[in-house]
Amino acid sequence: MIFWTTLLIVHGLLAVTLLGAITHQAVALWLPVRAKAGSFVARFRAVPGTSYVGAIIVLYLLTFVMGAWIYTQYRFTARLALEQLRFFKTVGVFEMKEHLATIGLILLPAYWAFWRRPLSEDYAAARRQVTLFLAILVWANFLIGHIANNARGFGS
Amino acid sequence: MMSSDKAAVFTITFGVACAVLYVICTEVNLPLLTYHPVIGELDPLWTPEKRGPVMYWYGWMLTSLIGASALAFAATAVPERWLQRAILVGAFAAVSYLILYTLALFVYDRASIELALLQSRWLSAVIAVAAAALLGCLAPAGWSERLWPGWVWVVPVGALAVLGYYLSPYFTH
Repeated sequence: MIFWTTLLIVHGLLAVTLLGAITHQAVALWLPVRAKAGSFVARFRAVPGTSYVGAIIVLYLLTFVMGAWIYTQYRFTARLALEQLRFFKTVGVFEMKEHLATIGLILLPAYWAFWRRPLSEDYAAARRQVTLFLAILVWANFLIGHIANNARGFGS
Repeated sequence: MMSSDKAAVFTITFGVACAVLYVICTEVNLPLLTYHPVIGELDPLWTPEKRGPVMYWYGWMLTSLIGASALAFAATAVPERWLQRAILVGAFAAVSYLILYTLALFVYDRASIELALLQSRWLSAVIAVAAAALLGCLAPAGWSERLWPGWVWVVPVGALAVLGYYLSPYFTH
């Protein structure tokens, strides 16, 4: 139990890091700062998006692999308990999480291709769209993970 | 006319193909391997439950990843306008099928006589493919000059909509 809990916490920490990175990049891309960044929000928007690409890909892969590993334990412990408690909506959103995670994984090669340096103007629109879509997927998965984890409470 | 570079063609095709194949694999249940988490056993292809629940998700991903990689490699060898047209026709076909089958079921539910034929998925699918081929021919030439990068998120959004629809029983239980 300690092993899987540790793994879950590491998975959560990686997800938080990924969430920060992809949110930073998406905001900087969609709401770029035109003038000198002064406030915290303006500085948040002023980061160079290209410097996040490698980190986001590695963090996504690490988070995905850890999630896929923990999923084996979830399938015959937590999920069975959720079904017995008739928490079908929680089970359903968790099923959606596996699909969202897979779609995010599928997007990564194109995400990398659109962010290659020097940035191509041909892919400017696609770069914005794919980055936003990836950010939405990461946010959705993060929130669903929280819901599933909170369904029975930590350590119950 | 500029053409897209090979890496972009490969990755866009991979994204589109993988999303479509993943939906097919989940709905038709085509895993390349089956995992039995309670006993920690891994079997090739589809196998039924042995002890405790069974997991096909890894197998579905593997099937779609390998299939999409093969299609993406093939895509780099064909003219870009063919590829764009093929994806365009495929997208038309998917949307047409969705509209036609929904309409068919709507009419079936309200008809005063038994129209069992309307329940057939094949009827809607054949008409949708024919309509998509026609629309593909009628589409302006400018739509097929280059591979549209937006496919890489439009098709996965459609795939998620289908996957979400199939999960709806969990929310209406």
